[in-house]
Amino acid sequence: MGRTGPQTTELKPILQTYGNSMAVIELEGLEVQLAGRSILKGLSGTLEGKAIGLLGPNGAGKSTLINTLLGFHKPFRGTARVLGMDVYLDRDRIREAVGYMPENDSFIGNMSGVRFVRYMAELAGLAPGIALERAHEALFYVGLGEVRYRKVSTYSLGMKQLIKLAQALAHGPRLLILDEPTNGLDPLARQRMIKLIQEIRAEGSARVLMSSHMLRDIDEICDEVLILKDGRIAALSNIEAERRSNRSFIELETVGPVTEFAAHLRSLGCDSASFPDGRMKLVLPDGVESRTVYRIAAQQGVQIRRMNQRRDSLEDIFLRAMDNSMESRTEAPAVRL
Amino acid sequence: MLVLAHYALAEAWSSKITVGLLVLCVLPFILFLVGIYLANNPLARMLIFKGAPAILVDAGYFLKILQVQSWLALVLCAWVAPRLISFDLADNALPILLSHPISRPTYVFGKFIALFGILSAVTWVPALILFGYEGYSSPQPWFSAHLSLAAGLLTGSLVWIVFLSILGLALSAWVKWRVVATGLIFASIFVSAAVGSMMKVVLRTRWGMLLNLPVMMTSLWQRLLGLPVLELRGESLPLAPILLALTLACVCFLVMLNARIRARGVVRG
Repeated sequence: MGRTGPQTTELKPILQTYGNSMAVIELEGLEVQLAGRSILKGLSGTLEGKAIGLLGPNGAGKSTLINTLLGFHKPFRGTARVLGMDVYLDRDRIREAVGYMPENDSFIGNMSGVRFVRYMAELAGLAPGIALERAHEALFYVGLGEVRYRKVSTYSLGMKQLIKLAQALAHGPRLLILDEPTNGLDPLARQRMIKLIQEIRAEGSARVLMSSHMLRDIDEICDEVLILKDGRIAALSNIEAERRSNRSFIELETVGPVTEFAAHLRSLGCDSASFPDGRMKLVLPDGVESRTVYRIAAQQGVQIRRMNQRRDSLEDIFLRAMDNSMESRTEAPAVRL
Repeated sequence: MLVLAHYALAEAWSSKITVGLLVLCVLPFILFLVGIYLANNPLARMLIFKGAPAILVDAGYFLKILQVQSWLALVLCAWVAPRLISFDLADNALPILLSHPISRPTYVFGKFIALFGILSAVTWVPALILFGYEGYSSPQPWFSAHLSLAAGLLTGSLVWIVFLSILGLALSAWVKWRVVATGLIFASIFVSAAVGSMMKVVLRTRWGMLLNLPVMMTSLWQRLLGLPVLELRGESLPLAPILLALTLACVCFLVMLNARIRARGVVRG
């Protein structure tokens, strides 16, 4: 979907400033039962990222966790805190501080876009005049400025996703909870949605918790990921740190005097391991680039036939978490990747 | 809660049919007002009735007012109640609405206030205005001597519109289509009345009348206005079972609302 309104407005009037140090979500042995069945089974962990991804296969408990964080479900055991507030005891305060974009269509089709967003902002506690002002700003921000007086029921699927985002933003939340924000969007609309969320993240005014089954969406937006499987934490990973650590890991296939080559590399501070057929694995220290490896190889008369700089994709992290989860199913501790 | 009530009222008033129904509800009020005027104006009485028996403004007169306005309130409720809830349900707005700092009871109460306000405008408000006008038009002792009538009008109206509001919201919450919800509200009153009458005939018991809301309410209003309870075809019921039946029905409607007004109906995982 193309941009339907004037250019993006300033984000600052919509979002309030928010510090970086506070834990966004804290889980302590959280167990949630629905209809006598355990859906979330003892989740523990602290999420502090600017944008937190919530990943997992269908039925993993993602939506139940979001609903619990919003105070819709009472924890059966353990506790969960959002922005330092108990999810059940302080649910009204949490709902004031959170903007929620549900996965499925959720709007009042009989209302115009601006009236709908204003209504939601008033429910969040804003005075009518301010709510109206914020509704206009939020709609222009997401690109629905030109169609804000049209009934929501006449909006396209992409517009409906955007108006859900606008209503979540309008009251200036400290945390945005986005449940499958790119669901059902065509590639262009998806790209626009991703860009908007990236802008919100970059602004740093609101933390983002985004649930998705699209690894690519999480990869493009999030710096921390919580992977759920069968109601348990399969992995809790800082994607940024993971990427940083993997940037320095190199696999080589060489021909020539490997022993001397390895000795030179060690003198630069590289950890290396040699294998038969000239294969080597290196961990480069900070400040040493891959071109240095080429230079030393040339000096030592070693041919580098193949260099593979390992970059763990989120998919690798996800698959590894799923494997780990299968292996340690009975032990149940969370895996910190 | 007030935000919910405000937007619910605005939604109700956005329909021209709502406005039309409210105008319709004002017409009997004007007729009753004219009746009180004629009853208290000797010159007008002489010119119009020419010696025929004058209109008697008593408890019976106010019972008629209460009955007419109350059944018009049912029509209004059947139209307005689905508009207050069905739009939210049809577009699955509850997850977004309830993710704001409002609880499920607050949501229902907000809608209830809106509906209660609209129904008040056609029941106890006009009834008490007519009572006040009669008090103004009559010799002074009438007003103070008939204060129990005003209390009866107010109580009878309140019982009816509270019941109607809860019934209207509960049935609307279970049906996405507004037209069907409107039909269901009428059906819940008249079909249950027919079933109650059949029970009375087949089982030869007057307790079947506990399903007959028109009979029950008339019986209740007669008592509240200090009128003798008419024994129509053995349909009279004691007061306690009537109140119990109404209370039980309200509890059932609240259970229906509790089951339906949720942010999530299905756990998707």
